This record gives sequence, C-alpha cells and structure tokens, in this order.
Amino acid sequence: MENNAILGPVATLALWSMIMWVWMYATRIPAMQRAKIDAAKMVGGTGKGLDDVLPPEVQWKAHNYNHLMEQPTVFYAVALALAIGGMGGGLNAQIAWAYVALRIVHSLIQVTVNRVMWRFGVFALASLALFALCLHAFMGFVVH
Amino acid sequence: MPESLLAPGAVLALWTLIMLGWVAATRFGAMAKAGIDLKAAPPGGRGVDLESVLPPLTNWKSHNYTHLLEQPTLFYAVTLFLHLSGGSTDLTRGLAWTYVVLRIVHSLWQATVNRIPIRFAIFALATFCLFALSVLAVIATLG
Repeated sequence: MENNAILGPVATLALWSMIMWVWMYATRIPAMQRAKIDAAKMVGGTGKGLDDVLPPEVQWKAHNYNHLMEQPTVFYAVALALAIGGMGGGLNAQIAWAYVALRIVHSLIQVTVNRVMWRFGVFALASLALFALCLHAFMGFVVH
Repeated sequence: MPESLLAPGAVLALWTLIMLGWVAATRFGAMAKAGIDLKAAPPGGRGVDLESVLPPLTNWKSHNYTHLLEQPTLFYAVTLFLHLSGGSTDLTRGLAWTYVVLRIVHSLWQATVNRIPIRFAIFALATFCLFALSVLAVIATLG
C-alpha cells in the first residue's frame, strides 16, 4: 500500500483536469451564446478557432485544459511506473504531491490573472519536480 | 539490457524533460535577441505566440517537445498494459527500446536539421514499432 501512495496525487490531478473541463464549458457555452455562435449549425470547427471570437479570459480556461493534456501525461506514466516498480512511496509520493499542487496553482493563475512570469515560474518548478521523478524512475528501472 | 518493460518508458519520459530543458535554454536567448521582455508580456501569452516571432531553429525544439507529448502518451499506456498483463517478452522489450531510440533520434533531427523526408521516415519506423506493440497489447490483455 505504501508503494502506491503516489496514486493519490495521480487521481487528484486527473480529477482536477475534469474540473477544468467543466470550468471550460461553464464559461465557453455562455460566451458562445453572447457571441451569437450557433453550434447546431457548425461543421468541422475546433476549439482553437474560438481564440479569434471569444474573450481571452474564456479561452484561457481551454488553454489550461489543453495544457493539462500535455506534460501531465508524462507524470501519469512515470507515477504509474514508479508504483508498479515498488518506488511509489516516501519521497516520490511527496514530490508527486508537490507536482500536483503546483499544477493546480498553475491552472488557477492561467485562468485568472494569467501573468506570464508567474505562470512560467510555477511551470518551471513543476517541471523540476517531474524531472526528479523521471530521474528516480530512470535510476530504478535502467541503472539498477 | 534492463529487464523491465517499463525501463524504455522511463528513458523516454526523462528525454522529454531534457528536450524541455533544451527549449528553455534556447528560447530565452532568442527572446532577448527579439527584444521580448517576459516581465512586460501581456497577460495570457503562450508558447505558440512565439511561432511568428522567434527563428525556426529555436521553435523546432519546442515543436519536438510538443510532439513528445502526443504519440508517446500511447506508448506509455501500451507498455503499461503489456507489463501488467504478462506481455513483457524479448520481442516487446526489443520493440519498446527501438521505439525510444527512434524517438530520441527523431528529436535530435527535428531540433537541428529538420529535413522532412528523414523526419517522416524516422517517425514512420517508430510508429511501426508502436503499432506492433499495440497489437501485442490487445492480444496480451484479451488473452
């Protein structure tokens, strides 16, 4: 069980991604109505096309949702591998919690004030945490 | 060769973050040259906004980092399926290591020379490995 402690932050970040998905649509659908976009008549558009028509603060939610589908996919893979390899407890679980906490802060910054420097600082810290997990997985599976 | 089928995935994950380091190491110099002050950046700016501003050679690193967050996510899932369902064999380990080596070569190519026919050939070979792993994962998990 102790080796599976890392699955807690994994589940938390997955749930947070779904919360961001809800936040995205909760703001996007009213914004589309205000912009008089009739989705019933749309063929073949993608979310990206809305960058030109919806207010930035609305699209920031989508930007962050997309962002959560990028680097965290590596986090899920590495965290699962660590758990399976018996390395998902102790320090690795703590680093994983730090990664998830930083990603949630990153989301909140990106969807509200979205100051680039703050966002970058938090992203860089989160990336360092993930780098540590990757390094531990590398040492455990390859060097060992 | 390490015994675990999870080893190649660990290498690819680490490589992805090394590419992110390469993006950071080249992007900031290029932004300074282009006269961009990150502190004065308008709210909401993103990496994609740099597409038309920074030199292609700089953006290529970032294109590849993004690329590594696309297809390889399937690779992680498929190798985990195989590992958990008794599908770790010499064949699957060989395919997985080949995939990872090809993806690292693909990164180095895209980040430097970036001629498309070669990049496509490396990508196609890597995809072929992943395709085979996916078929074997279906067999291992249903079997």
